[in-house]
Amino acid sequence: MTDPRALRLEGVAKRFGDGAGAIQAVAPCDVAIARGTTTALVGPSGCGKSTLLRMIAGLEAPTDGGILFGGETPDTLRRRAGLAMAFQDAALLPWLRLRGNVALGRKLARRVPDAAADDALIRLVGLAGFERRRPAELSGGMRQRAAIARALAGDPDLLLLDEPFGAVDELTRERLNAELAPLWDARGTTTLLVTHSVIEAVRLSDRVLVFSPRPARVVADIAVPLARPRHSSAALADLCEAVRAALRG
Amino acid sequence: MIRMPRVVVWAALLLGWEVFARLTADGFVIAAPTEIAQYVWRNTGLLWRATGVTGWVALQGFVWGNLAGVMLALAAVLIPRAERGLLTLALLAFCLPLVATGPILRVLYGPGQGPQVTLAALSVVYTTFLSVLVGLRAVPQSWLDLARSYGRGPVTLLALVRLPAALPYLVAGLQIAAPAAFLGAMVGEFTGAERGLGVLTVRALRGLDLPATWAVALLAAALSMAAFAGIGALGRRLSLAPPEILLAAPDDARGRAGASIQGIAAVAVALAVWQGAMDAFDLPRFFARRPGDVWDYLVTAPEAGAHRANLLAALGETLTVALPGYGAGLLLGAGLAALLTLAPPLAALVLPVSVALRSIPIIATAPLIVWALGRGAAGSITVVAVMIFFPTLVACLHGLARAPRPLMDLFDSYDAGPLRRLWGVQLPAMLPAFFASARMAVPAAILAVTTAEWLATGRGIGALMATVASTSDYAMLWSAIAVIGLAALATHAGVAALERAVLRRTSPEQLAG
Ligand SMILES: Nc1ncnc2c1ncn2[C@@H]1O[C@H](COP(=O)(O)OP(=O)(O)OP(=O)(O)O)[C@@H](O)[C@H]1O
Ligand SMILES: [Mg+2]
Repeated sequence: MTDPRALRLEGVAKRFGDGAGAIQAVAPCDVAIARGTTTALVGPSGCGKSTLLRMIAGLEAPTDGGILFGGETPDTLRRRAGLAMAFQDAALLPWLRLRGNVALGRKLARRVPDAAADDALIRLVGLAGFERRRPAELSGGMRQRAAIARALAGDPDLLLLDEPFGAVDELTRERLNAELAPLWDARGTTTLLVTHSVIEAVRLSDRVLVFSPRPARVVADIAVPLARPRHSSAALADLCEAVRAALRG
Repeated sequence: MIRMPRVVVWAALLLGWEVFARLTADGFVIAAPTEIAQYVWRNTGLLWRATGVTGWVALQGFVWGNLAGVMLALAAVLIPRAERGLLTLALLAFCLPLVATGPILRVLYGPGQGPQVTLAALSVVYTTFLSVLVGLRAVPQSWLDLARSYGRGPVTLLALVRLPAALPYLVAGLQIAAPAAFLGAMVGEFTGAERGLGVLTVRALRGLDLPATWAVALLAAALSMAAFAGIGALGRRLSLAPPEILLAAPDDARGRAGASIQGIAAVAVALAVWQGAMDAFDLPRFFARRPGDVWDYLVTAPEAGAHRANLLAALGETLTVALPGYGAGLLLGAGLAALLTLAPPLAALVLPVSVALRSIPIIATAPLIVWALGRGAAGSITVVAVMIFFPTLVACLHGLARAPRPLMDLFDSYDAGPLRRLWGVQLPAMLPAFFASARMAVPAAILAVTTAEWLATGRGIGALMATVASTSDYAMLWSAIAVIGLAALATHAGVAALERAVLRRTSPEQLAG
């Protein structure tokens, strides 16, 4: 892939600490991800997926290698609010109501306030009616959905989702999958999605990267050439099986 | 149970008090409510004016001290490099022996309210600084990452995340500061002022006027409790959640180099500030002694040996009172808190009462305690212990209440019983709060013991300072300040080191902050 607009990771590696107690979280890793696509990252717990995502977001400096998105480093991308991340623990501010938390995404990204658009996002993630609730009054899954709405509010070019549906029940998850995917496809957002659900990975993404146990290395790179919307099908099941096989190693 | 109207309960309590006071009238300890009422009735104008004076002094000190505390905390967060130095500065203000600083400020300011206001301000700087600093820091990593992932810098972070997160901590800090400012104002008045509740206390003590002493102590207590409750109500109005941890160790993760280096740095800063302040204002050497003068006085002068012996004897006397009182206050506070968790309904009952009692300026009641228990060691030890007991009890009850729910459920699911749960989950959860209050209690203990000595017992370093202040022996006064300040810093550093050693094993997450 030679598209200069792609997300390119070249020899990216991360080691925590040094000396005998050092932990190699991410092995040197070369990946190119086409602009406007959705890529799922799957791998065993603790293998380094969050670390990789945090490095792409510029929150963590790689110990080796470089990252470019459309020719920009994570830091410049960050500075012009070109990326948004939904965190594993939602990271909602407890003193803000749901609406305030979603609006915060726009505010942090220095976009003009747009209450109507915020409300539309809240409806999209199925939280209509909860606009005036505080995070403490929401369930874990509701908080994660709020975090996704907040990430979308800034209208990012690069969307990083760290297990965004981890605490959402199966049915809501399927509904969200069905409704959110077209949204970021339509916006041309480049999306990286960390998930533990193989079926979700295959349903949502154009490509699944399977990582080894720590230190994270790409052990399988599986394209998902299926049309959307993706209903259960033999091809889907085959792809899921391929991902599972790669995960088993 | 028969529910009696409140009025009846209160009337019965008052009657019991009256009878008890009448019966023990010879003991000369407890004033009867009627006597107190009579005194208040006859001296309404006087009390009213004195309250106005002390209240105004306390309010000014409250404003200045809290402003300074908040500014220092903001600076520490925005300029992480300066944090260590700022922390040391605030700690110095906290460890300064207020009782001895009063007379010197008196000479500095001349007549007027300057000294009282300064002491009131000094007594709130550190606690507010620490609460706000902890609040500004009590922000999960992911909130910081959130702001960073949009490329926003420290200012946005401060405005959108840290400040709102710190607001409940600020309110809690202000709550602690209100009675402290009142206390500082009264101590300032003890050491020489023309008007105010502190002056009335000293006069009542000199005249052995029991009802007057009681009346002023009750008034001071009521005012402090009102300020405490008022700020609490304000916090609830703003619907702030009470803070998670208050007064936790703020930066100990970086304190690897050890408490000793920090202690030495603190002493160096203290000496530099001392010398610098004296020189900057070009204060006359006659009373504004410099570190070198104190060194001469205690080490190189011909009579230095006698000076030293005099000072150390007084210090020894003070320590034999302060240390047992300190230990007793801490142990009783923590012990009662632990006991109360075994009886949760009782704890729910005790907490508000002790929160209210904590806000009483114990110093105002010190003369009463000393009167009750005599001028020997017992009285002073009790003053120190009481001063420390309530804050420790409240802090520990809060700490115990913060025991992680899932862990409690885990123990319950094995039907482990309240004792095992206390030992396995609640006590470890209480430790950070316990150590925080042990640290904060060091200057409190010194304040309590020196005030009791100054006002009532006539022993120890407090009495020595009272004597040398009245004879204008400034060399000795400065030496006393230096020695007490040093002792406070050293003890504080010792407790902090112990705290680090213990918490590193029991709750490392508290140190990572
Ligand atoms: N700040 C850190 N300091 C030291 N080690 C870290 C740090 N962050 C992560 N690690 C280590 O790096 C490894 C990878 O962590 P990471 O959070 O990236 O895993 P993950 O794949 O996201 O796991 P999960 O699926 O459970 O979320 C782990 O072994 C973890 O202990
Ligand atoms: Mg993770």
